[in-house]
Amino acid sequence: MSAAPNRRPFDAGRAAYLALNALLLAFLLLPIAIVLVFALNPTPYISFPPVGVSLRWFEKFFGSAEFMNALWLSLWVATVVLVLSIVIGAACALALARGNLPGRAVLTAFFMSPLMVPAILTGLALFQAYLLSGIGRPVWGLIAAHTLVAVPYVIRTTLAVLHNFDRRIEEAAAVLGASPTRVFFEVTLPLIRPGVFAGGVFAFIVSFDQFPVSLFLVVPKGETLPVVLFNYMKFDLDGAIAAASMVSILLALSVVLVLERLIGLKAYVKL
Amino acid sequence: MGTNKGVAMISRRKALRAGAGLAALATVGAPSILHAQTKTLKITTWGGKWGEVMKATVLPAFEKEFKCTVSADQAFPFLPKLQVSPKNDPIYDVLHTNSNEQWNAVVEGLVVNKITAKEVPNIADVYPYAVSEKIVGVTIFTSAIGLGYRTDKGLAKPTSWKDLADPKLAGARGGYLIPVNSLGQAHLMMLGKVYGKGLTDLDAAYKALEALKPIKLVDFTGQMEKMLLSAEVSMGVIHDSGVYRYEGANMQPVDFASPSEGVLALEQVLNVTPGSKVKELAFAYIDYMLRPDVQKLLAEAVWYSPANKKVKLDAKYDAKLLTTPEKVATLIQPDWKWYNARREDIDARVTKILKG
Amino acid sequence: MTSAARPSPIAWLIAPAGLLFVLFFVLPFAVMTAMSFYSGNPVTNPNAFLTTRHYERFIFDTAGIFHEALWSTLRIGLITTVVSLLIGYPLAHWMARMQSRLGHALVLMAVIAPMLTGIVVRTFAWMTILQDKGVINTTLMQWGLIEKPLPLMYNEFGTIVALVHIYVPFMVLTLTGVIGRIDERLEQAARSLGAGRLRAFVEVTLPLSLPGILAGSLLVFALSISAYVTPSLMGGTDVLTLPMLIAQQVGTSFNPNFAGALGVILLLVSLAIVVAYNRILARLAGGQGMA
Repeated sequence: MSAAPNRRPFDAGRAAYLALNALLLAFLLLPIAIVLVFALNPTPYISFPPVGVSLRWFEKFFGSAEFMNALWLSLWVATVVLVLSIVIGAACALALARGNLPGRAVLTAFFMSPLMVPAILTGLALFQAYLLSGIGRPVWGLIAAHTLVAVPYVIRTTLAVLHNFDRRIEEAAAVLGASPTRVFFEVTLPLIRPGVFAGGVFAFIVSFDQFPVSLFLVVPKGETLPVVLFNYMKFDLDGAIAAASMVSILLALSVVLVLERLIGLKAYVKL
Repeated sequence: MGTNKGVAMISRRKALRAGAGLAALATVGAPSILHAQTKTLKITTWGGKWGEVMKATVLPAFEKEFKCTVSADQAFPFLPKLQVSPKNDPIYDVLHTNSNEQWNAVVEGLVVNKITAKEVPNIADVYPYAVSEKIVGVTIFTSAIGLGYRTDKGLAKPTSWKDLADPKLAGARGGYLIPVNSLGQAHLMMLGKVYGKGLTDLDAAYKALEALKPIKLVDFTGQMEKMLLSAEVSMGVIHDSGVYRYEGANMQPVDFASPSEGVLALEQVLNVTPGSKVKELAFAYIDYMLRPDVQKLLAEAVWYSPANKKVKLDAKYDAKLLTTPEKVATLIQPDWKWYNARREDIDARVTKILKG
Repeated sequence: MTSAARPSPIAWLIAPAGLLFVLFFVLPFAVMTAMSFYSGNPVTNPNAFLTTRHYERFIFDTAGIFHEALWSTLRIGLITTVVSLLIGYPLAHWMARMQSRLGHALVLMAVIAPMLTGIVVRTFAWMTILQDKGVINTTLMQWGLIEKPLPLMYNEFGTIVALVHIYVPFMVLTLTGVIGRIDERLEQAARSLGAGRLRAFVEVTLPLSLPGILAGSLLVFALSISAYVTPSLMGGTDVLTLPMLIAQQVGTSFNPNFAGALGVILLLVSLAIVVAYNRILARLAGGQGMA
């Protein structure tokens, strides 16, 4: 590989670069460190500096059937939403980028619009629509609502990768004799993987952490974790919510890692 | 002849199949028929400690005694959902909210106007405030809105609402975002009474509000509790339950004071929806929530003052909560109907005053 | 004439998304828009009548707070977007260029973790950091750098800090895909032609990552102008945005018709901005001859 000739005098610039990034990472992680402190702090209200270390909030969280049911529901809803949004969103992005559709700018804006509407309105509008049409509040209604809010992310990130796409790779494959279908499945799709991956991560997180839309569409005993946490918090302000938060982070990160293995960054192969 | 036999055979097969189908339906349908006989009562409830006690003890006992299922919605806010659901099949049978929201609800015909001892016998035993003309529905508990303060900041225990305006407290006092919080709204009205001609003297209230700046404003009482506990503010408007519930180990030096001009009532009110299909069960539930043993359990779990006169709380709760006619007499109930009618203007005005 | 004019068969891939949106977005919001022209809920309330008063209330703004709310919303959105970009780009660049698989995964997790903390918990964490008795102020005062606590919370500053914190991960993840696709050899070629590292970056990598920048900015802008939970909890009364107003109207003023009108207004304004954005994006991407 062609070695960059000036690797030795790297240090000042590279050090500054790394230091900057470390600082920015610290900004991102500081609140999480605080949440961890809350989660381990035994006092029954949130305080700083911490008094000690205790696992009682984690015990309370895991011991509560309500929290556990909510966690489970949030996890599997988010997984279903993830799959649905990736498929629907990537397809839509491809259509927008390659399909020569009329009014592309407007269509793209249209598909982004759920992001610009305060989620509480989306929740209310859907709730109203569901009640008026007699659907009620089934789980698939919740899943559909989450998918609606998640799909724009997948579309956006996939479009971003598609815009920067070097089509000559596809043309090369076609010249070498591959049929359009084969080009699509064996060249195009793998190369848009980073965009789909990023979108998929968003989709999962957006669904898992979704609050205002879920607020209207969950039913008693079928509430997602953010709803349960918020209502717990309005009334009781102890470390259980911090413990819930830490557990959510760890769980969701594991999902993201799995995603990364499956569809993620293997596509960073330089051709 | 052959065809007839064929037809007969077919129809027998059909009959057998149909019979089998019916039998299957019967076995599948039977539980649902049984289920149809078990009524479902749809209620609303708070989360947190209250929700825990309800789900663990109060509701299961009710379900057992009245042979029904209770479906309890915890996802606040409740009124917008009730607004959208059809009147003849409302999404709730019993609505549990604070008094101001009940008034919003009754104006739109979402809840009934008055409940009497005829429907809910235990009403005969409640304090007058629970069914006063300032209430739609029935109050089952109340808290007192007063001043919470830190005891380690060299402050004397506040004796008046005016103590919040003490210049020493500039930037160290707490209030609420009035458009979204009923304690903030009640406080505004109190300012009218304390500095002006009464609870409806908005001009005096606005002036007094201006004088309270700089003041830290929060969205809900949990945040106020946190501000007091972390000494971010030295004094704030809060209800007694929000201070007393932290008593015990690791307690911070925060105490509650009932100003001499009176404390405002923060009532927990139950009401029934007119379109409810299980009205009798709904009234039975309200009656149940007024029973002395149920009242005692919940009151001591979350430090609410019970509405039933006959409740006997343990000594430490009895000392601090409003459990005698004299203590109850200090409660001031705002006129929510009057306030709600003016809300838009008040919200806009207050936002202008407190901005920046 | 040429294929540029007619939609290719790939265009059909838009169907599932289209169906989802028509059923779950267009229809419910059509209902909500209709409701915004009524005084009450016509389905449950026979006395509800048609009116434009909700829109008039916003347009004439006799209360003096609605127009201000719209400007606040757009201003906070813009600042949040710019700051998120400034913070997100270096992180995205670092992540995209990282060789180590493990390092990449770790940074990825660190970037994503903020998105997972949950709305309210994260706000309380910020309260602990930013408030008068919070970590920053107590530390600064201990070191004697300041006398009185800095007002970092219950104002626009605190709101923007919290919003940026939520949205930087979105920016990073959008950018990292695009930057990762930029062939490093292009930069190396520039360097071997004599350009310094910085110049190679500015003249090669940065322009090529423009689609990602615009996509990420659009995403963060759209999100931050619809946020209401965070501004409510972090802003005190200093901050009043349109989404906060909408949430208030739904949740505590119980006026969903007015909320719907405000939502329509917000959506129209945002759509106008987004369409303009997309036109720029299309022109830039087309101008590079790559897409």
